[in-house]
Amino acid sequence: MAASYWESTQRKFWTFTKQQLSLERKKLEESERNLVNMYPLPDRRLVSIYYSHQLSKMARPLGIRQQALATAQVYVRRFYTKVEVRRTNPALVLATALYLACKMEECPQHIRMILAEARHCWDTAFNDISKIGECEFTLISEMNSQLIIHHPYRSLAELQNQFQLTQEENTLAWSIINDHYLTDLPLLHAPHIIAITAMFLAVVLKPTQGGLQVHAAGVTNALQALGNARNAAGQGTQNRVQKLVDWLAESSVDMEAVVECTQELISLYEIWESYTDKTCKDQIAKFVKARGLDK
Amino acid sequence: MDLAKTTKSRNARAARNSPSIGSESPRCPPIVKTAQPTSSSAEQPRSSTSTPTPPSARLAIANQLTTASAILWDPKHTSRPPPGKLKPTHAGTLSVANRTDSSISVRNLGGGQAIPVMDNRRHPSSFQQLEKLGEGTYATVFKGRNRQTGELVALKEIHLDSEEGTPSTAIREISLMKELKHENIVLLHDVIHTENKLMLVFEFMDKDLKRYMDSRGDRGALDPPTIKSFMYQLLRGIAFCHDNRVLHRDLKPQNLLINNRGQLKLADFGLARAFGIPVNTFSNEVVTLWYRAPDVLLGSRTYNTSIDIWSAGCIMAEMYTGRPLFPGTTNEDQLQKIFRLMGTPSERSWPGISQLPEYKANFPVFATQDLRLILPQVDQVGLNLLNSMLQLRPEMRVSASAALNHPWFNDLPQKQQHSAQAMANAQAQAHSAQMGGYHQVPQVPFGNEYFDGSYVTDAIQQNGSWPSFFDDTYCDGYYVTGPTQPTGHWPFL
Repeated sequence: MAASYWESTQRKFWTFTKQQLSLERKKLEESERNLVNMYPLPDRRLVSIYYSHQLSKMARPLGIRQQALATAQVYVRRFYTKVEVRRTNPALVLATALYLACKMEECPQHIRMILAEARHCWDTAFNDISKIGECEFTLISEMNSQLIIHHPYRSLAELQNQFQLTQEENTLAWSIINDHYLTDLPLLHAPHIIAITAMFLAVVLKPTQGGLQVHAAGVTNALQALGNARNAAGQGTQNRVQKLVDWLAESSVDMEAVVECTQELISLYEIWESYTDKTCKDQIAKFVKARGLDK
Repeated sequence: MDLAKTTKSRNARAARNSPSIGSESPRCPPIVKTAQPTSSSAEQPRSSTSTPTPPSARLAIANQLTTASAILWDPKHTSRPPPGKLKPTHAGTLSVANRTDSSISVRNLGGGQAIPVMDNRRHPSSFQQLEKLGEGTYATVFKGRNRQTGELVALKEIHLDSEEGTPSTAIREISLMKELKHENIVLLHDVIHTENKLMLVFEFMDKDLKRYMDSRGDRGALDPPTIKSFMYQLLRGIAFCHDNRVLHRDLKPQNLLINNRGQLKLADFGLARAFGIPVNTFSNEVVTLWYRAPDVLLGSRTYNTSIDIWSAGCIMAEMYTGRPLFPGTTNEDQLQKIFRLMGTPSERSWPGISQLPEYKANFPVFATQDLRLILPQVDQVGLNLLNSMLQLRPEMRVSASAALNHPWFNDLPQKQQHSAQAMANAQAQAHSAQMGGYHQVPQVPFGNEYFDGSYVTDAIQQNGSWPSFFDDTYCDGYYVTGPTQPTGHWPFL
């Protein structure tokens, strides 16, 4: 009998290749060419960072758990592969995604609490709970009621036991998984690939030396270490890394995918340095206000 | 129905759509209040035209009695029952142009966004509503017929609440049914969204097990070959759920559906809900206690797949006798009925029991009864299976997949078929692996089970088994590794 990720709607309908994804988005942009030209937006990853900050801001006072937050982020990403962002009020979409994610992850929040937090966090908030109800319809509909999300957290928990990760390594791996929701990786790769990538980076980065901050340079070194370790499997200098590499070599884990994920994360951390809250906020507010989407 | 409101919302939101029904309403004459067409009259759209009343007489009456909604929901135009209350859908905040590949159709009779491409099959009126099959806490189920294909379906109407959006239970049921496709789980054909309700279209099943027993059985009791077949199918459905890390949590004869071909399927996912989660709407709901496992009754918050096995055991006994095995009235009474038969557990027979919230040191002490005396109808091998399912201690209960391998099922033709199929599949897989076939199921070092990252519907498994740093800031202990089950081991057989 099939274990569930492999038979899941996530794998069947919501995992794309890079080409498929960019094609979908291109189609979407072409259909709204005028809007796209009139209201430019920052890099998708920067916007994602802004979304994630806004979601955390809403979630924190409500005590919403990380997993629900992650689910909400995936919902937002899925939704915006099907609906052009400039036709929506992101404040509403994000608040609703969070509301729906809380229902799905069995930590439901009252609709009025979500509304209150959304109004607190956005200048462009909407004013009425029925909007959330309507938007929830739309989210469920656009996602074809395929709402169950498989996250890498669970796979990491398995890996943690397997490799006796230290607490620092684990914490770092968790953070890396949290960060991967800022990229397209949740739509591109299986959760266990993400978990392996996160663990690998965490072990190679040695958080005891580098602190918990992941820097682009650190990740680049990590990737080199990965490359070196793969090429020269005989050296016994890096025991833990060696153990991992051996294991990865034995396993039939898709190494290409792991490398791809690593690169995606590196470029995320690089572009992160250019992030400012204000740019995203202003540019989103511009089309929301101009088009009256917050009414 | 308030005409002014309807018209206003129509104009505000439906500049570009002008369906033929709707375009009449702004011009329609003001109103004498009338009864709206009921859903029963809507079933027979053509019947009114065939009545012998002369057209002029009917016209006169119509002139007196007209409302906007009477026109909008005139059975001549639509078979849809009139909505109780019109609510705006899709106000301008969010505009979605194309919903071609959605399986939910948002249809807005109030006159909102037109939906350009809509599959006719998904329209509520493409189903003829027949008799009511049952009413649940948040839904009503009707028999229905697909007007195009004539196929029978079950239509489950879920009523929406503006304070809650789409009910969590419905969301859970829909999303789970999207993942779980199995011949022993009722099939969800489609989901239809209308402005004030949600309609789930399920495959039609003739009866639930309760009614089947009442109609077929000898005073409710079924014959042994039927019981064996039903038990096998029930356990297959459960095993599939558990393999996908889904707990049903509300197994009872009413939730097991039977069709004319003798197939049994699990239904009503999501009616069961996690406890500890306030679901304000259904607080007065009475969930039957009869199939609830003793650990749950004792207040355990770490229950797992074994609770469904307990229910299966209760159902097996009920099929033999025609009566529920433990028909308790309250939580305490339910426990007492269980203990009376299975013996009162103690710290010795069930280490840790005294820590459970509902445990009382002064439970009346009963000795364990011999199941043979209470259920003389059951053969020896069957009793052994039953006993392994009705273990008080959850960790002693057999798993669904182990139960399927119980010798009691050896003489079942279905089982022989399935094992032959499984063998063939395994061989085919081995073959394609040899051929280096395409890697549909990527192999991970520990096998699929390990990395499946699968889903537990259950918020309850948040016990202390997680490392201490797995606190809320990272993640909750939600996707817990499946519990270890005793492996199927049948000592004396």
